[in-house]
Amino acid sequence: MIFSEVYGSYFNAAAKILERAVDGQLTESDIVRIVNDSAFGESVLSLPSKIKGTEWGLVTADLKTPLKHKPYKPLTLLEKRWLKTLTSDPKFKLFGVEVKGLDDVEPLYDRGSFVYFDRYCDGDPYESEDYIKNFRVVLEALRNGKKLRIEFFGHKGRKHNKVVSPLRLEYSPQDDKFRLLTVSSGRSWIINMARVQICSVMDESADTNELPLRNTAEVILELKDERNALERAMLHFSYLEKKTEPLDNGRYKVTLRYDRDDETELLIRIIAFGPMVKVLQPESFVRLVKERLTMQKMLNF
Amino acid sequence: MAYSELIKNFANVRDYINEFYNFGFKSRREFGSKSSRSYDNERRRIESWLGEYMNFFMDGDGKKIFLSVDSRQIAHNPLYKAFKAKTFTDRDIMLHFYILDILADGEELSSGEIMDRITSEYLSVFDNARELDESTIRKKLNEYVSLGLLWTKKDGRKKLYTLSVDEVNLSSCKEAAAFFSEADPMGVIGSYILDKLDMVPDVFRFKHHYIMTAVESEVLYELLEVINAGAKCEIEMFSSRQNRLKKYSVMPMKIYVSTHNGRRYLMAWRFKFKEIAFYRLDKIKSVKCQETVDTAGKYRTYAAEQEKFLWGVSVSDPHHTGILEMTLRIEEGSEYIVDRLMREKRGGKVERLDSRNWKFTAEVYDPTEMVPWIRTFIGRIVSVKCSDKNIEETIKADLKAMYKIYGIGGEEDDIQ
Repeated sequence: MIFSEVYGSYFNAAAKILERAVDGQLTESDIVRIVNDSAFGESVLSLPSKIKGTEWGLVTADLKTPLKHKPYKPLTLLEKRWLKTLTSDPKFKLFGVEVKGLDDVEPLYDRGSFVYFDRYCDGDPYESEDYIKNFRVVLEALRNGKKLRIEFFGHKGRKHNKVVSPLRLEYSPQDDKFRLLTVSSGRSWIINMARVQICSVMDESADTNELPLRNTAEVILELKDERNALERAMLHFSYLEKKTEPLDNGRYKVTLRYDRDDETELLIRIIAFGPMVKVLQPESFVRLVKERLTMQKMLNF
Repeated sequence: MAYSELIKNFANVRDYINEFYNFGFKSRREFGSKSSRSYDNERRRIESWLGEYMNFFMDGDGKKIFLSVDSRQIAHNPLYKAFKAKTFTDRDIMLHFYILDILADGEELSSGEIMDRITSEYLSVFDNARELDESTIRKKLNEYVSLGLLWTKKDGRKKLYTLSVDEVNLSSCKEAAAFFSEADPMGVIGSYILDKLDMVPDVFRFKHHYIMTAVESEVLYELLEVINAGAKCEIEMFSSRQNRLKKYSVMPMKIYVSTHNGRRYLMAWRFKFKEIAFYRLDKIKSVKCQETVDTAGKYRTYAAEQEKFLWGVSVSDPHHTGILEMTLRIEEGSEYIVDRLMREKRGGKVERLDSRNWKFTAEVYDPTEMVPWIRTFIGRIVSVKCSDKNIEETIKADLKAMYKIYGIGGEEDDIQ
């Protein structure tokens, strides 16, 4: 059973409140803070009074609890089965951990049960020893907030040797690749993990105060709902910040916010919709579409 | 019934999240068959769970609510919150903490002994606390045995309960759990695990991350259990064409996932027509597991043969495949297009014709599925030949329409 109250936010919030109560340190403000942090927007209206009520029998009016131990949070069988499933994923080895206590547990599913039919086939080499080693070094730097010395090839094949502050590891299920998001001298560097030659953690703390500003832009589209284009586009672009407004005659205005670095990718995603989608603004984006179409027309197909 | 931010089942709220997140342009009155009160309650709940991602705009039809998330900027899928809003009774939460507390020292106790402890050591602390009967406690104990939180053993005629042994060191695998809670199709379970940790690592971000699939987790879980059992099942689906719920008797085999739009499909053997069929997970409302299928191996072999000729998830005619050839002009300096072809060709073949021209060929059941992908090469397409001439004509007609709406080689026209 996947939808169960034992995984619920109320149970989690109650467990945190009870931890404080068992220690004899619970205050009214703790309750409100924990509920706000761990439950939902309106939970604070009901949960604090419930937890102190006789109905739940967990905390007395003077903020004591009959519980003798801090709440125990064992893994359910479902959670163990999920963890067991992960251990057969080649990406799991990147983390260098061995999970004990799952010998008698059946995995939740067999990896062959999933087919990622449009995933690109040049994903990262997760089985490569060098890749695994570099991944773990990067993870260590991120974990401890340290700078990295890193040698890698850029997308044009140029070799770089830099000291960077790692920010995040970004994974794309479409590309099946990890990219390391970093900053160095106030400039953002995105490094494909597969292109890292060697890296090492430095003693110096990462400089995460100078986060480069995201370079984003907006594109406005007009969509004609034919051949199910509306539903397809809504799903297709749902990974972006988006706003959709109905116009007339089955047309919609769609506003998407995207990273400028991904402009070419977004361009081909948009032209894949053919005449059902027209770029309205900005003019620079319209020009990009027109350039492609002009090139195409010259091929006399 | 008074409003609560908790829900009994997930099915109702799924449709609303879908509308607010994927579409987000319907007013209250446009939610059709749903009553206004039901709309108000569901909107309020979703706002309570996901308020920071909710926006609205006004137009002539009124207020339009939409959920907007830049999935590249978030470490955790906010839609998982909806799975943590299951309703429960006062006794559920009381017994949860009492039972785990009583058994925390590793004792093996019967339901009667647990009841005695509850009465004397826990309920006695509260004035006017309601008594609990042993059958209620036994029911909860057995529920927790099936969840794997407790173990049980027989001692003569007595059934004893103890905490299940949990040797998993969660803190050692918290980074893996944080990654897979987003990257794995059943990541919501990872999210449950992360909730048990004091500190959740904030190391990962995700690109091309289709978070909406989270709301299909319950259906996906049911299907995976049927696949594991090699069984058949009845799926209930909403048919958009017929605007009604339909039932299908199928043997589930695999889940096909699009990384380009997040859609997921069940590949199954459909008994009625003795064929392989695909069903969108977001349209499946319920799954009822039935008996195991003795001839499962035969259907799987048949499916494996068909999979060789799939471009996506369509088998328009299992007895006929179509061949599509596309020639691209790739000038010097644009060799990255060849790389694109190589990584995106799926079952197709790529060959160099001469210094500038490259040919892609694929034999598939339904070449129509390739059309959007072919359009991504606009600007370089020298020719497209297909055994289905309608596809060639569609591509050409669409190109003409695009020239027209962008005013290429003539007057610009509105989108037709």
